[in-house]
Amino acid sequence: MAKGLKLTKADLKELEKEKERNKKQRMEFIELYAEWLKKTPNIKWSKQQKVVVEQN
Amino acid sequence: MEVKYKKNEIVFNRELSNLDKLVLKFVSVLDNEKVEYVIISGYIAILFGRSRGTEDVDLFIEEMSFARFESFWKALEKEGFECLNVSSPKEAYEEFLKDKTSIRFAEKGDFIPNFEIKFPQTKYNQYSMEHKTKVLLNDSCLNTSEIELQIAFKLNLGSDKDFEDARHLYKVFKEFLDLNLLKNQIKELDVEDEAERVLWQKD
Repeated sequence: MAKGLKLTKADLKELEKEKERNKKQRMEFIELYAEWLKKTPNIKWSKQQKVVVEQN
Repeated sequence: MEVKYKKNEIVFNRELSNLDKLVLKFVSVLDNEKVEYVIISGYIAILFGRSRGTEDVDLFIEEMSFARFESFWKALEKEGFECLNVSSPKEAYEEFLKDKTSIRFAEKGDFIPNFEIKFPQTKYNQYSMEHKTKVLLNDSCLNTSEIELQIAFKLNLGSDKDFEDARHLYKVFKEFLDLNLLKNQIKELDVEDEAERVLWQKD
C-alpha cells in the first residue's frame, strides 16, 4: 500500500476552505492586535514586539 | 500607541529592537554623507508595531554621481557594512544601480538582515522620494514613505504578508490618515478591490 496522503477532490476543497478561514482569522487578529497596540503604552507593546522581531 | 502624528511627521518613543538599532546605524551613514533616502515597504509596518521579523529593509536613495556614491560606499564600509552582491563600487554603480538593479548591504560577516538599495526608477519611486514622512524615534530620525502610499503599495504587492502589513498600518493610523489621499493612491495603483477586501470590509 502506498505511503502518504491520499486525498479526494472533496478533501482538497475542504483544505482550500480551511486556508480561507485561516486567512480571515489572521486578518481579524491583525485588527485585534492593532486595537490593543493603540491603547497600550509604547514601552509595553514594544518590549513584546522586540521579542518577536528578534526571533528571526 | 502613544504617537504624535502630523502631516509628514510622526513622533514617538519606544523600546528599540536590534533591527531598529541597525536601521538607525545605517541611516546615520546616509545622513552623514548627505544622501537623500526613503525607507519603503515591510520595515515601516514593523517600525509601527507589526509583530514580525524581516530579512531586508528596502530603501530608495537619490540618484547621484559616481564620486558621491563611492564616498557613500566607503563610509558604509568604515561603519562595518559590506555589500553582499557586488564587490566594487564601480560595478555596483554602473552595472547594478544604473541598470535598475538593487545592491544589498549587511553588517560584515552577516547576510540577514540586509539593506536593499535602489535608485528611484518609476513614478511610484519618485513620488516616494518626494513625499517622505519624517519619523522621530526616541532621539533619532529616519525617513519613511508616506503612510497612505505605503498602504496602497502593500495592497499592490499582493502577498498575504503584504495585505497584513497594509491592514496593520491602516488600523493603527486610521484616525490620522488623509482618507482622500489614501483613496487616490489606491485608485492610482489599481487596488480598489484589494482595499475593499483588506481595509474597508467589516469582519
